[in-house]
Order: sequence, then structure tokens, then C-alpha cells
Amino acid sequence: MAVTVLIVDDSKLARIVANKALLALQPEWQRVEAGSAAQALEVISKQQVDIALIDFNMAEKDGLELAAELRQTYPELPIAIITANIQDEIIARARAINAAFVSKPITKEGLDGFVSGAALRLRSKNP
Amino acid sequence: MNPEILLDELERDALTEIVNIGVSRAAANLRKMVGQQVLLSVPSIDIVSQTRAARLIGEREVSKLVAVRQDFKGAFSGRALLIFPHEKSLELVRAVTRDELNAAELVEMEHEALTETGNIILNSCLATMANMLRQSLTMTIPVVIRGDSATLFEVWRDAPADAPVLFLYIDFTVRDRNISGYIAMLMNIPSLVAVKELIAAFIERVVGSDD
Amino acid sequence: MTEDRNPLDHAIAAAASGSWEWDIGLDRLWIDERFAELYGLDATQTRTPLPTSTFFLRIHRDDKTRMRIAVAGMLGGSENFSKEFRIQVPDGSIRWMHGRGQTILGVKDEPLRFTGLLVDVTDRKRAEERLRIAQKAGGIGAFEYIDGFAAVTVSEEFCRLLGLLPAPALPVPTINRLVTQGYGPLIPEQIGDEDAELAGEFLVTRSDDAQPRWIARRGEIIREGTAGGYRLVGVIYDISAAKAAERELRELNETLEDRVQSEIDERLGAQAALRQSQKMEAVGQLTGGVAHDFNNVLQVIGGNLQLLAGDVAGNLRAQQRLQTATAAVARGSRLASQLLAFGRRQPLAPKVINLGRLIRGVDDMLRRALGEGVEIETIISGGLWNTLVDVVQVENALLNLAINARDAMDGQGNLTIEVGNAFLDDRYAARHAQVDPGQYVVIAVTDTGCGIPAEIIEQVFEPFFTTKPEGQGTGLGLSMVYGFVKQSGGHVKIYSEFGQGTTVRIYLPRTRELEDVEVDTEAGPITGGTETVLVVEDDEQVRGTVIDLISELGYRVLKAKDVQSALAVLETGISIDLIFTDVVMPGQVRSTELARQARERLPNAAVLFTSGYTENSIVHGGRLDEGVELLSKPYTREALAQKIRQVLRKRGLPASSAARQQAAATEPTGSPLRMRVLLVEDELMIRLSTVDILEKLGHAVSEAANATQALELLNKDTFDVIIADVSLPGMRGDELAARAISLQPQLRVIFATGYGLPPTGAQDALRRAVTLQKPYGEHNIVDALKTATSVQPLQ
Repeated sequence: MAVTVLIVDDSKLARIVANKALLALQPEWQRVEAGSAAQALEVISKQQVDIALIDFNMAEKDGLELAAELRQTYPELPIAIITANIQDEIIARARAINAAFVSKPITKEGLDGFVSGAALRLRSKNP
Repeated sequence: MNPEILLDELERDALTEIVNIGVSRAAANLRKMVGQQVLLSVPSIDIVSQTRAARLIGEREVSKLVAVRQDFKGAFSGRALLIFPHEKSLELVRAVTRDELNAAELVEMEHEALTETGNIILNSCLATMANMLRQSLTMTIPVVIRGDSATLFEVWRDAPADAPVLFLYIDFTVRDRNISGYIAMLMNIPSLVAVKELIAAFIERVVGSDD
Repeated sequence: MTEDRNPLDHAIAAAASGSWEWDIGLDRLWIDERFAELYGLDATQTRTPLPTSTFFLRIHRDDKTRMRIAVAGMLGGSENFSKEFRIQVPDGSIRWMHGRGQTILGVKDEPLRFTGLLVDVTDRKRAEERLRIAQKAGGIGAFEYIDGFAAVTVSEEFCRLLGLLPAPALPVPTINRLVTQGYGPLIPEQIGDEDAELAGEFLVTRSDDAQPRWIARRGEIIREGTAGGYRLVGVIYDISAAKAAERELRELNETLEDRVQSEIDERLGAQAALRQSQKMEAVGQLTGGVAHDFNNVLQVIGGNLQLLAGDVAGNLRAQQRLQTATAAVARGSRLASQLLAFGRRQPLAPKVINLGRLIRGVDDMLRRALGEGVEIETIISGGLWNTLVDVVQVENALLNLAINARDAMDGQGNLTIEVGNAFLDDRYAARHAQVDPGQYVVIAVTDTGCGIPAEIIEQVFEPFFTTKPEGQGTGLGLSMVYGFVKQSGGHVKIYSEFGQGTTVRIYLPRTRELEDVEVDTEAGPITGGTETVLVVEDDEQVRGTVIDLISELGYRVLKAKDVQSALAVLETGISIDLIFTDVVMPGQVRSTELARQARERLPNAAVLFTSGYTENSIVHGGRLDEGVELLSKPYTREALAQKIRQVLRKRGLPASSAARQQAAATEPTGSPLRMRVLLVEDELMIRLSTVDILEKLGHAVSEAANATQALELLNKDTFDVIIADVSLPGMRGDELAARAISLQPQLRVIFATGYGLPPTGAQDALRRAVTLQKPYGEHNIVDALKTATSVQPLQ
């Protein structure tokens, strides 16, 4: 089954790094990118997205806001908030909307936990 | 300047440690990004008048700089800068992109890469400090700026004229890559009493009830 | 991992260290034997989990909180731990410890363990303290730089030396940009493989006051590992003072030789000049004295010869012999005159002469002086203008030039003397200093000698400058020529071609007056008189001769051998018309005093001075001021007779014009108005004679000898004109004039000056002032008065 991961980050570099990490962990998964919250919403309206990696620090609408919105529509969607802003408050807010927290810079190891968990959840839904 | 609002030795030590923690985290992150050893200096921290800050900045003035700037607001407000001599910036970009880009792509990515690197480093530093003090700060989107010290360290308009400035200077180096630069933080402390209280609380948490 | 920044830290490794491990998760501490030893803990405490509070157990109460904070930082994720703290062991002693540690992180960057080493640094601390104090006292700034880093660890003194605000670390560029271009970086970011040392000197500009300072740097390069990393450990200190002294010393050394040489030269030059001038002075005095005595002798001889003439009348052979003798006396007197000129004792007595006639007259003398090897040619233009000049001086000048020419030609060659009229125009005057445009008579003396090289041509007029070997020539000749020409209002120019020859041109201003023809003293009617003459002369023989001469002329003669006696004679109340006195008289009272007293008692008495040897008392600036009557010795009977008549006439008595000596082209018209004149003149003789002239012209004269007297008079009376000598004692003439004008604005100003230049002043009145050049005669005064009174008064 094809898994599609949506990477939302206004930094191209961050998207590249996230891509690389994902590729290392799950080479067969599809990856799709968005450069802002608006773009992300557009993408997700057009195609199936199974996992979302969302950068917190974005202009206009920050990652938590977008995540909260997505959560409304997609209550089961595995979401990870990616950020270097490791303030407790941010972490707490992520938890509050049932999103994981992965600190930047993204590494294979750092992402592993979330990716494994997300994969498990997806498989359980689609045996 | 009113000596009461200056930090005493203990408070200075505490603040240094807090900054250390933040910068250590930032260094760790930079290490991950470049995959190489990153060395840090002991931060030098001073609370000075704006005049003296201007002079300190002037003395550290290097003609051409590249910097990533991020402002923060909360219990304390200020401006953090990740600064490189401009000739080193491209080297940093190469490092964080793990030598995977060609020359043309490097130049294209430079602004991008600098922004993201600055974002990670400054954010981790500031966020850690905020956590230590049990406060939350709002950060702006980081911005790349080029110029001399005057451009980088513009005095903010909303700072009262007599408000003292926390001048922090810490330098780091990526040895094998010949990259070095420094992080400077200017904090306006409108109510230094509030910060002193935060530091006192930190000290108490850390020291505990002691003899 | 982390680098320790303590400059002396590489010494730590040598000391034995204890170690610890703090397990953060388990909240337990492990220590080893050395740590236990340092902390004064029992060996049983080693290698077994201890409560983490043990770490703080021995820490001095003043350092405890600080250390807790530091450890908290480590537990929170800080990387660097490098702290010094005091511990107090059970026996009470206090030691300084240095702990260096790091945190080991887990996969999620969470701190797992905090481990480190502990070293006793008590001794080092003391040494450091001493070092810090010493460095501060000695102005030594320490630094440590680890290559690759952007900043240098520095001491406060380091910052201060460079004028920077003290900070524990400074960015490398901040330091290096204070160094002047070309000296290299103070903190090098790259070092060569061979470099071992950091010795260097740098010229820096301080950051605070922009003062330049010399900074010395000393230190070591410590290489770390094989990867090419290095550390620079060193000090800087200010050596500006030493550098300045060094430079001064170097400059002094470089110029030492030159300065010594120039010092020597100066001394030698001064000594030579002094010797020369002393020689001159001595010679001058000698010759002056000799000439004076000689003149006296000549006077006697001459006078007696004159008297003898009467006795041998009829005896032709005797008369011839007498004439020869008399001519010899005349020549002798000329010689004496030259000697006097040499001794500078001859006052300039300018006369209107025709230079052509003069040159023809000295032809003889020149031929004798130049010898047979020199061919002399004289060219005199027709229609030659007259000039006002001292005859003797012109003769001297010609003689000097001729002798120089002879020497330049080595006794063989051609000498040409030309005299002609010349006109110096404005352009010429502009190109040459102190030259007025106008009409001149020019004497040109040209030789075919070796010429003067261009380099020294400027100097030839300098006193004591001579190219002749030592002993030949005094070096004064040309300077005397120059002086005399300038004094006469003229101009002298040299043209020379090295190897070809030289021409000296003397320009003397044209005068439109008629020539003062020397009355042939050998002939002409001798006029006597019947007035009473008082002869004052200390030399018995001379006195005798003079008395005889004067008596023969018909005058009634009284005699005195010195001033005292003369005064006694005056006391008797006898009426005297003329006092004939030698200027140089022995005794306390001077002859000028005699003259003054005579004036007082006998306002109508005239005074005639005689001398072979004039002094400053009646000579002003080397020129005889007109109005002072002087008969130079030796004089002929005719000259004496004429002079006496002249002087008596000048007293205001009507006189025949036959012996009028002052060649006035026009009779002085005299001012139509009777004016009130204030005369301010400190020189007695001049003042007396000027008063005479003014009164003769019909003006009312008040006299003052100095500015104070003048101002007194100005406050009492009203005047129309003030005639003031420019150089008065106490106050300058122009200053006095300014004050006078402010007191009496209607006053016209006439300045009397011997120097040619009228004083300048800010006030209009001073600018419009008329200049009366000394020596002035009656007609000069008339002209001056006319000019002065034709200007509108200031109101």
C-alpha cells in the first residue's frame, strides 16, 4: 500500500532534509511537499495524505494552527510538529492536539520514533 | 546606571548557565546538521548601558557580515543574531547541505540554507533558555541580513532610551570546515526586576533548600 | 569536545587528578581514590554509588551556590563544565579545586551522565593571582587564541592596552583592525609550519582615543596534535616610550656627525668673524688715532707753512719750496682721510659733484694702486648728470673695486671705468629689492679677470667674505662699497662670467642741483672779519697756530686750553661771536656741552667745531648733520677763513653771497606765513641749527629734546607744524606724532629721519606726513614746510 507523507515547511532545505530522512527510513513511501499552510490545505484537498510532517515556525499560519485544523477534518491522521523551538509550551500544545513533536534538525534517528509509530497505526487501520 | 538593576555575581553565573544550556543545545543541533565537531567558547555576558553596548558593538565591528536575525518577545524581549564573516557563509551552506549540491545550487540555496540554519540554532538556544526560566517567548521568523554592525545591531525603536542592554557574545567554530562565527544577543530589559525574579526562581529550583 | 580556555591550563595535565561520574537518571555519584583524597573522604567511599549531594559536600559555602548552578546547567544539557572552587576539608584547610567535565547525551539528546576530572590548583591559583597583579602593574596584557575560533580570550589589561572596553573575549578582527597597515595581524589566523615564536612589534591605533602606540607581542605557538591545530599563548605590552627614545637616539646618532660638524663650523666662523672684527676694530682705532694725531701734526705744519707764505713773499725759490711743502701736506691729509675712512671714522659729507670730474681726478691714484700690468681705460659720457655723494667714499669705492679687479686679473689685464647716465624703470625696480625707479649716474668698473662663480656672487658684498687667501685683504672692501652706495640712496650690481671677467655697476641717484665746486683753496680772496673768536684747543702747538691764523684774518681772538677755561671766559661776560673748538677735548666736560652753555649765555654766538677725528656726538648715522658746522683737520688758511665767515653769516647777519657754499639751485622762497613750529630733536647740534634755520625763515619755534618735553609744550601752546625726529629716546617719533595729533588735530607732521624710510602709521595724519631726510638744509626745510602745509588739515 502506498503511503504518502506530506512535508509542510517554508524552508526548502528543511524539506530536503526531511525527505532524506524519510527516504532512509521508508524508501517506498511517497513524499509530497508544501511550502505553506495554505499550500498544504490545497494539496490535501486534492490527494490522499497518510502522514503529515509540519514545521511550526511558518509565516501567516503557524504549524500548530494548521495541525489543529487538520485534526478537525482528519482525526486519525498521524501528525508530527517539526521544530527547533523546543519550548515546553510548544510541546504541550502539540500533545494537546494529539500531534507528535520532533525537534529539528531532523535526523533519521530523530524521526524514527514517530515514523515507526505512524507506520504501525496505518497498518493497524489497513490490515 | 542604577547598581540595583545590575546582576550580581550569582545572577550572572545563573544567566551564564542558562545561556550555556541554550547554546549547547544549539551547538548539538549544528553538529547534527554539519556532521562535524563544533566548538563553543564560554559565553561572555554583560549588562551595560546602551551607550556602552553601542561601543562594544562598534569594537566588534567587522566590515562585511552575514547574519540571521530573530527577535523574541515575552518576559524579556530582544534580538538574537547568528553572525558570520561574509566569506564564511557559503562554506556553512555547503556544510549543512552535506556537500550534495553543486556550485550553482549552492548559490541558489545560500539564502535558504542560512535562514534555516539560523532558525534552528537561534530557536534551540532561545527555546532552551525560555524553558529554563519557565517562560514562553514568541519568536519572529528569522531573516537573513547583510551589512556592518550598525545594520545588524540597530537599536529598536520600542526600547526606552535608558533601558540597559544584556550584551552576550559567544563564538563557535566548525573546525574542519574553517567556519567560525558568533551568536550575539541584545536584550532590552524593561523590567530587570522581573528577569531577576525569574533568575532567582531558577536558582532556587536548582540549588534547593540548602545550608 | 569542549576546550578549556584557561591560559595556563596545559599545566593541569601534569597534576594528578581525581575523577567522578554523576549518573543523572539514577541520581548517583561515583568517585575514585584521588577524588576521595582531595575531598578528604574515606577510601570506602570510592567506587560505590553515593548520593549526588556528596559532590557539594566539601565545597566552601561561598562557592556552593555557584557550583550548584553550574552543575544544574550541565544536567540541563550544557556542554562545558570548567569551574574553580574552594573546598574545605575536615582539618579546616581550604584548597582551590579545578573541575573539568562534560555531559554524555543519549539518543534524544537527553543528558545521561555528567563526568569529569578534579585537580588541586591551590598553588597555581596563587601564582595566577600574582601573575595577574604583576601583569596589571606592568601593563602586560595576556591573550590566548585557539585557531579556528572567531574570538581570542584576553585579560582586562589586554583590552586596556588597546583602548577597548574590558571583556573576557574579543573577536579577532576587533583586535587586528587596530594595527596599522603593513605590520601584519596581532593575532594571526594562520601560522607557518616553521614558526615557533610570536615575537613582534606593531604600530596600533588605540580604539578609544585613536592615539598611535607601539605594542610588543611575545608568546608561544603550541601545536596540538597532528591535525595542524594550534594555540597561541602570549602577552602584549606598550613600548611606545621605548620606541620614541629609540627613534630619537637614532636620529641623534645619524645627525650627530653633522651636528658636531656644523657646531664646529659655527664656532670657527664666529671666532674668525670675531677675530676679524676685533682686528678691524683694533686697526680702526689704531689708524683712527694715528690719523688724528697725524692730522694735528699736519695742521701745525700746514698752518705754519701758510704763515710762512707771508714771510717769504718776494723770495721766489722759497715760495716754490713752500708750495711743494703745502702740496705734500695736502696729500698727507688725503692719506689721513683714507685711513680714517678705513677706520670708519669719516662721516659722510655728501656734496653735489660731477662724477666725471672725480674719476679724472683719481686716475693718478688708480694707476699707482694697480701697477703697470693693468691697462686702465676711462670712458665718461657727455652731458653727465650730477649726483649727491661723499667724494672720499666714491674714491674709496673705486679704489676697492680697482684693487679687486687687479687681483682677479693677477696684475695683468684691462680695467675699464665708465661713467654715464642711466634710467632704472619700474620693471627693474620691481625686480630688485630696495631700488627706486628713477634717474641715476652709473659708474661701471670692468675687468678681464677670473670672474666670480655663480654660487658665490650673492655673497661678495657680505662683510668678511673674501676669496683671497688669508692675510690678503680684509673682506671689507666690497661691503664698504655696498654700505656707502646704499647710504647714498643708490644701487650696486655685479655681473660676472666665470673665467671671463667681472663688471661692477654702481648707480647713484641723480641730483638736479648744481655742483658744489670745491673752491680752489689756493686762490681767491680771503675774507677776514673783526668779530671776537674764542679758540678752544688743548694741543698747544695747534692752538698757537690756529690763533695766529685767525688773528691774521683780523679777528679778535680769545683762547682757552680746555672746556673749563672756555666756560670761565664765557663767565666774564665778554661778548663772543664765534667759538671755535676741537670736538675731542680732554676733561670732564664735552665740547658739545660747551656749545650748549655758550648758546645759553650768548644766543648770538656761533659755534664751529673742528676735528681730525669725529665722534658720535656730532655725527648722526655716519653722516654729518647739516647745521652742525665742522671744519675737518687739516684745513688751509683759506678754508678756515671761509668757514668762519660762513658760520658767522649763518647767525643771521647779512652776508655777501660770494662764499655761499650750499649750492642751492633756487633760493628758498620761505613760507609766506609765520608758523608756530614745534621741533623735537634729541641731538643738540642738529636741534640748534634747525632752530636757527626756522627762525631765520621767520617762524616761531619751540624746541623739545624728547617726547616728554614735547608733550608738555603741546599741552601749553598751540602749534601749526611739528617736526619730529623719528628716533627719539623713550618714544618713537611716529608715536609722539600720533599723540600730538590727538591733542592738536590741526597739526601738520614732518618727520626728520636719517634712515630714508618714513614711519608708517594707521592714522591719516601720519600717512600724509612729510619726510625730511637728514642731512637737511634750509631749502629742504622750506620744501617740507610747504608740502606739509599744502595738505588739508584733518578736522
